[in-house]
Amino acid sequence: MDDMRLTERTVDTNESKITARKVQVYYGDTHAIRDVDVDILDKAVTAFIGPSGCGKSTFLRCINRMNDTISVARVEGEIKLDGEDIYDAKVDPVQLRAKVGMVFQKPNPFPKSIYDNVSYGPKIHGMTRSKAELDEIVEKSLRRAALWDEVKDRLNEPGTGLSGGQQQRLCIARAVATEPEVLLMDEPCSALDPIATAQVEELIDELRSNFSVVIVTHSMQQAARVSQRTAFFHLGYLVEYGETGQIFTNPKDPRTESYITGRIG
Amino acid sequence: MTDASLNSVPAAPRSRSLHTVDERTRKRNAAEKRFRVYGVTAILIGIVFLAVLAVSIVRSGMPAFSRMVVEIDFVLTQEQFDEAEAQLMKTSAYQAYFNAALQESLNAAGVSVPFDESAVERILGKTGGILREFYRENPDRLGQPVSFELPASSRVDGYYKGRVTRDTIVDSRFLMKSDLDIVDAMHDAGILKRGFNWTFIQGTDSGVDNPGGAGIGASVIGSFFMMIVVLVLSLPIGVAASIYLEEFAPQNRFTDLIEVNISNLAAVPSIVFGILGLAVFIQFMHLPQSAPLVGGLVLTLMTLPTIIIATRASLKAVPPSIRDAALGVGASRMQAVFHHVLPLAMPGILTGTIIGLAQALGETAPLLLIGMVGYVAREYPDSLVAGFTEANSAMPAQIYTWAARADVGFYEKAWGGIIILLMFLLTMNIIAIILRRRYERRW
Repeated sequence: MDDMRLTERTVDTNESKITARKVQVYYGDTHAIRDVDVDILDKAVTAFIGPSGCGKSTFLRCINRMNDTISVARVEGEIKLDGEDIYDAKVDPVQLRAKVGMVFQKPNPFPKSIYDNVSYGPKIHGMTRSKAELDEIVEKSLRRAALWDEVKDRLNEPGTGLSGGQQQRLCIARAVATEPEVLLMDEPCSALDPIATAQVEELIDELRSNFSVVIVTHSMQQAARVSQRTAFFHLGYLVEYGETGQIFTNPKDPRTESYITGRIG
Repeated sequence: MTDASLNSVPAAPRSRSLHTVDERTRKRNAAEKRFRVYGVTAILIGIVFLAVLAVSIVRSGMPAFSRMVVEIDFVLTQEQFDEAEAQLMKTSAYQAYFNAALQESLNAAGVSVPFDESAVERILGKTGGILREFYRENPDRLGQPVSFELPASSRVDGYYKGRVTRDTIVDSRFLMKSDLDIVDAMHDAGILKRGFNWTFIQGTDSGVDNPGGAGIGASVIGSFFMMIVVLVLSLPIGVAASIYLEEFAPQNRFTDLIEVNISNLAAVPSIVFGILGLAVFIQFMHLPQSAPLVGGLVLTLMTLPTIIIATRASLKAVPPSIRDAALGVGASRMQAVFHHVLPLAMPGILTGTIIGLAQALGETAPLLLIGMVGYVAREYPDSLVAGFTEANSAMPAQIYTWAARADVGFYEKAWGGIIILLMFLLTMNIIAIILRRRYERRW
């Protein structure tokens, strides 16, 4: 592990974007997340690592209330975005999701044109008044997702016709098109080859200047490469949370050490 | 000793050659071959039954589309017209002119057979009235040769279709044995020919003693209005119910109960829906009896479960990742459903709807109870509203009515009606297949 590189990329701000306190998630009778306290920083990449089934994806889906769509899921505790409780009765999850975008594990473009994929979010949120403005947003989002040059001549072709890596970048473009403040990524590279992975990782690093990015990953190398903060989840508990460099080089908890050295997982 | 112990060790099994098939593989292959034979046999049996069905329907039904007609060139002068109109029995005057013309064309063909007025009436019906009506409406055709095509009576028709033979015929007011000589003579002279039976397609139902005049047209219109009612009601209600149940309804006992009952409704015998329609729509709500509106309402009840089940299946088939994607960019649940899920489910929904409609189109039992079967649809509805509210028959009800009538002439009409009904059903199924093929999306 390259320590120098890790310490180089220190956190630019120390402002918390999201604060979670005593978060519990139940799936029916199963207690999936227990007592998670975490502060996610603004304009930084936070990685959630941990073995399969440890609750990292579940916790990620709490941040934009995607768990609401699962009828048996129940969330307790407090998650605040910029100091506002997102589970407050007054919060409309639709408004929240416009602020907290999400990229899923499997690329899931709509079976529509590339243009329609990216423009859908801005359209439903009424972000534009004219076609020209919309065109601009589509171009900007595709550029941010490093996809513009590859697709600029075939915006009207179906998004499902792209390669896997391109599809995932299209999904990222779609997510950033609504100008969210937080971008959640649930194992965005698990279905991609190493080249596409590298492109997406580069992208995540660039997105950091505008968004607060939270990424769930199974690859510890990836967490080390892209994140400034890392949280290690195990059996529903948040075991350790800190600077990425510290987690990987000097873990405080023996479980973290076992995991990153490959003894549990 | 050492030799013996060495010999007792079993020789290591020689690896078998790939070029010889061992016992196990041979058995497995045989089982597979047997299974294939069973499958092919099953399919062949199905095809044979289908072929027998198709052949018997076509053989029994095709005669309904043809009929015997007398083609005769006829000239009526102005003087003859005036003379006939001056008489008291006007149509019999025309009848006399016609008989003369018939005699003339028989003589011209070199066939001579004695016949009287009543024989012509038995063979062709009251032609005098037809002639009079024509010339009163088209006085400009007086004095010119006009070619008339007059359908022969159903007994004569039956004589050429093998229903009536000289041995089976009994002298009656419908046809005498001696009339067959005249008929044969007319056929030899080329006056009596086989023609396409337009009356069967365009006409309305006739009385019980006139199978020749029976047509399916009015009941096709009745079925059409019924299908409009079914489509307009069951598609929106069915799709709305399915979307709610599939995408919005909470999972609890109550929705489970609804779900189970929808599946149960799909299995309820159709006659039960008929008696429900009789009790609710006719006896309680006092809607008109035998009307396509009531028929459509009853068939809607029957079609709804089919449409709901098909729609829910196609909504379920849309991958959840599409819903996640839409919700993830901040779409509301309704937007996610209407912008993304519903368009993808549309081919399945349309297919289900068309198949439900096709089922409803062929349904007879519920119509039995709301009075559509007994009704003799003698007239076309004269307006759009009347099409819904006035008593009419429907295709399957008409077929049932014909099949139940005593006169054997109606038998072929019933089969002919089945051919027309099957053509409608086939068309609908083909449309369903085309829609599915065209709008099917892959992801």
